[in-house]
Amino acid sequence: MKNILLVAAREYKQIAATRGFWVMLLVLPVVIGLSQVAGRFFRPQTDSAYVLIDQSGQYEAAIDRRLQLNYQRSELGALSAYVQRWELASVQPDAVWARGERWFTDGQLEQFVAHGGIDAAWKKIAPAKPEEAPDYVIDPPAYVRAPLPSSVAADQGPDTFAEGLAEPLKGDEIDTPEGKRPLALAVWIPAEVTSTSPVRMWTNGAPNTTLVDNVRNEITRIQRARALESSGLAPEVATGILNIATPIDLSAPPQGAGREQVAIRSALPLAMVYLLLVTVMTTGSMMLQGVIEERSNKLLESILATIRPSDLMYGKLLGLGAIGLTILGVWVGAAVGAALSVQGIVADIVKPSLAAIEPWMFGAMLFYFLAGYLIISMLYLAIGALSNSLQDAQAYLMPVIMIIMLPVVFMMVSVLQQPNGVFPVVMSWIPLYTPFAMLARLGAGVEMIEVIGTGAMLAAFVAIEMILLGRIFQASLLRTGQPPKLGGFLAMMMGKHTG
Amino acid sequence: MAILKLDHVVKRFGEFTAVDDLSFEVAEGGIFGFLGGNGAGKTTSLRMALDIIRPSSGAIEILGRKPGRENSSEIGFLPEERGLYRRMTVLDTIVYFGRLKGMDAAPARKEAERLIERFGLGEWTKSMVEKLSKGMSQKVQVAAAMVNKPRLLILDEPFSGLDPVNQKVLEDLVLEMAKAGSTVVFSTHIMQHAERLTNRIVLLARGRKVFEGTQEEARARLPGRLTLVSEADPSGLPGVASATRAAAANGWNSWDVSLKSGVAPGDLLQSCTTNGFALRGFESHRPSLHDVFIHLVGPEQETQP
Repeated sequence: MKNILLVAAREYKQIAATRGFWVMLLVLPVVIGLSQVAGRFFRPQTDSAYVLIDQSGQYEAAIDRRLQLNYQRSELGALSAYVQRWELASVQPDAVWARGERWFTDGQLEQFVAHGGIDAAWKKIAPAKPEEAPDYVIDPPAYVRAPLPSSVAADQGPDTFAEGLAEPLKGDEIDTPEGKRPLALAVWIPAEVTSTSPVRMWTNGAPNTTLVDNVRNEITRIQRARALESSGLAPEVATGILNIATPIDLSAPPQGAGREQVAIRSALPLAMVYLLLVTVMTTGSMMLQGVIEERSNKLLESILATIRPSDLMYGKLLGLGAIGLTILGVWVGAAVGAALSVQGIVADIVKPSLAAIEPWMFGAMLFYFLAGYLIISMLYLAIGALSNSLQDAQAYLMPVIMIIMLPVVFMMVSVLQQPNGVFPVVMSWIPLYTPFAMLARLGAGVEMIEVIGTGAMLAAFVAIEMILLGRIFQASLLRTGQPPKLGGFLAMMMGKHTG
Repeated sequence: MAILKLDHVVKRFGEFTAVDDLSFEVAEGGIFGFLGGNGAGKTTSLRMALDIIRPSSGAIEILGRKPGRENSSEIGFLPEERGLYRRMTVLDTIVYFGRLKGMDAAPARKEAERLIERFGLGEWTKSMVEKLSKGMSQKVQVAAAMVNKPRLLILDEPFSGLDPVNQKVLEDLVLEMAKAGSTVVFSTHIMQHAERLTNRIVLLARGRKVFEGTQEEARARLPGRLTLVSEADPSGLPGVASATRAAAANGWNSWDVSLKSGVAPGDLLQSCTTNGFALRGFESHRPSLHDVFIHLVGPEQETQP
């Protein structure tokens, strides 16, 4: 055992000393960190200002109202999700925010605003929130109307108006009721909107399409109402027609249940499949190079005079397994750490995924991960022992990787659509693919008997693989000349090699 | 007590017999030469002794036990084909081999540092092996073989690839190890090293033993050869197998004389005196191991003098 540990420690140190290992180890934590930072820096600009001149006097109030309602809709949706997440509906069960996130009608929003909007709702909820729940953060309105700068003339036509705003639209910030903001849009609505006298808009070159759409839709809505009125309809009837919204009562499982639950529960096991593939393929290649180096450097004879070939093999597997677990530990640790310490995309995915996983599933995931690691590492080890050079190894590796990867890729697609379909279930019982299939399906809910059955088969397969490929490894270490053909492999596996 | 004993050992690789009914013993202490041309079966025999490969038949004893890794703490081995982990430091490499042979970390490190100094590699202690020259790498490997102060040191073609200066360093080290009580077994096809170092030898050809014994016993297998300077032809003298005139000057002839088996040069000198055979010169030739080898095996088995 001491020799196995010595070999394992040497293998571990050798791989850990490579730049590739550190790049791989740190890539995920860096990506997670960047995602947190990038999320802040690359969010579409929503804190912008607009100026609006309405020569007709008919649209200005409606546009401002529409933007205010949309802002309240967005906040109401987020607050409803917060209330559901922290089970705060009992604070006021009949409140519009107490029944989960959904589509809110203008009527509901008008009522919400009439009761004080998002600020009043949060004041009511805040005292009841659990200690561990973070405060709900009310975002400022995305678009704020700014008063027209005094230097800009509003009564000398659109061209003069545009000329006056040319400088601010290059990126300058202007004063708004919410403080200084970059000017994103300037709108000129003529006294009479016609095809020859259109609404004109000027942007800063990076316009927010939502803002432009909101303005356009509101103007269109009012024009349609006027068209209906001019065809004889009473104004309230015309407005009523334009406000028609089909009442739909959509029933869905509560958040985190049903299909969503499957997706949430599957996030971590599916991530483990990708982790397994990435780590084993990368570290397997490192080990392969190590074995080829030992063979081509002619140092195996010195080693084999001192320790058993089996000790060398187990030491390598152990060292490589420790490398894999290090990467797994750092990656999972980074993801969990990010989930628990920060908010953002990673936290949104990992936190509910961790909460949804039952304790026994962690054990199963670790077992399937390690078994998968062993199966593929052993293949790499045997190929390394058979190969005189990296070119030799690539000739063996290509078909082996294809045999493993292709079905796994198809299986992953199939699992995402139908986790308990025939294909993934059959794959679960083929030991070479069991780790991947079972890891991918664990989140969707797998019967315990299937976990035990596939686990037992997998353990037996790993044991047999280690015996048979172990014989190839041991028989090939001091072999010279061309790699053997199929008959030679079989003889090695049967222990009939001549060394 | 025999520290290494092979008893009717045979090793076949398929149809090819690499070692054929080989038996010999190495007594504890001293330096033992395992000689033979390329492909004679030397490396195969040593690999069997170390349990790297198993014999097809026959029995091997090493340190009074069966071959196996449990003996490795008392054995040092330098293989013919040498290599090291390129991305390990000199010190770590030697310590690693020491630890694989059962040494604790601290003594392994101490001995490794001593050997590094002994081999003149002090300034390379922390250098990666890949930065060393071939000669220095070989020294590191020799140090790795010796780090556990082995009772039995097996060196397979230890001098190949070394420049004359380093060959001398290694020869001195082998003598030092033997003086310190280790038994050294080394294989070689370069006979001059064997002549300088060994007490006893085994000569191998085509997997079979052709001789076992001391260097003098080996030389005694070769008919005596000498040069006589005389007027008369010495062919008729008792004990002379043949005589060929090599040169003549001032009425005196120089003769290359081969003696009959079992006849020593001193016997011929005595015979000349007894028979009143006039001699002006007498030079006895001591055969080299290379000559012995050629005589016993034939010129097709390649060795170097």
